[in-house]
Amino acid sequence: MTMDLRELYQDIILDHGRHPRNFRALDNPTHFAQGHNPLCGDRVTVYLTLDGDHIADVSFQGRGCAISTAAASLMTEVLKGKTLADARALFAHFHARVTGGAEAALPETLEEEMERLEPLTGVKAYPARVKCATLSWHALEAALKGGGPGVAVKTE
Amino acid sequence: MILHVSFDHTEYQEPPHRFEAGTPDIAGAIGLGAALDFIEALGRENIVQHEEALTGYGVDRLSRIPGLRLLGAGQRRLGILSFDLEGVHPHDVATVLDQHQVAVRAGHHCAQPLMESLGLTGTTRASLGVYNDESDIDALVEALEATREIFR
Repeated sequence: MTMDLRELYQDIILDHGRHPRNFRALDNPTHFAQGHNPLCGDRVTVYLTLDGDHIADVSFQGRGCAISTAAASLMTEVLKGKTLADARALFAHFHARVTGGAEAALPETLEEEMERLEPLTGVKAYPARVKCATLSWHALEAALKGGGPGVAVKTE
Repeated sequence: MILHVSFDHTEYQEPPHRFEAGTPDIAGAIGLGAALDFIEALGRENIVQHEEALTGYGVDRLSRIPGLRLLGAGQRRLGILSFDLEGVHPHDVATVLDQHQVAVRAGHHCAQPLMESLGLTGTTRASLGVYNDESDIDALVEALEATREIFR
């Protein structure tokens, strides 16, 4: 494998791509939304159960490439138990990291979570694959913004 | 294109001319001429023979890759090799191939109903032409082996 590809397909990505965590629908989600990339056909549905301001449970289902599956899997892992403000801060920071945008300051309490997402930032060198890493986050955002179930979001 | 313009009235030409204002695509016409000269110089029969031989070589090589399923089982095929690599999403295949300087198209190819009937989310597709030779197939096969290595 060339060094470049190793950056992109790190072991953690391959592992989560093959064996996604929290890969199920929630029985009674308070929020959910579908993310869809019509160009590549990837689909992901993100389910949330909120307890006040906290993410009590989060899961996803869908089909996609190794990167989008791993990104969704890692997202659910870092978000469980977090507040909505934490989730938004992580997404803002993560988005900036993978797109090369201006990085928002990240609260110290979330550094460990960002570290867990770090392997995904390899997509930065592959402009066509950035959307794979952000699709589930966009679906999460749509679910929260919609305030109710069944919102759809598209990324291209 | 207009026919006549005054301060209070504009009159257009009859279609299609009214839709073709400005400089015609002169470079495009010259380019088409050059392309036709190129094809005629090679000879259409030679092109067909080249593509058929190359396609046969490609089918032969790809068929030997474990976990690779070539799509389309007809006796005659054009110089197009669409395939599914077991357990690897076509976009991941394409990214690895790209890093090995092999350009393919991947995804549903704007044919989602066909993908559904094949039971696939998408395919990876290599296209062969007069510009290609056996070394390109060899490079494709090598890159596919590297893909299998990553996603094994």
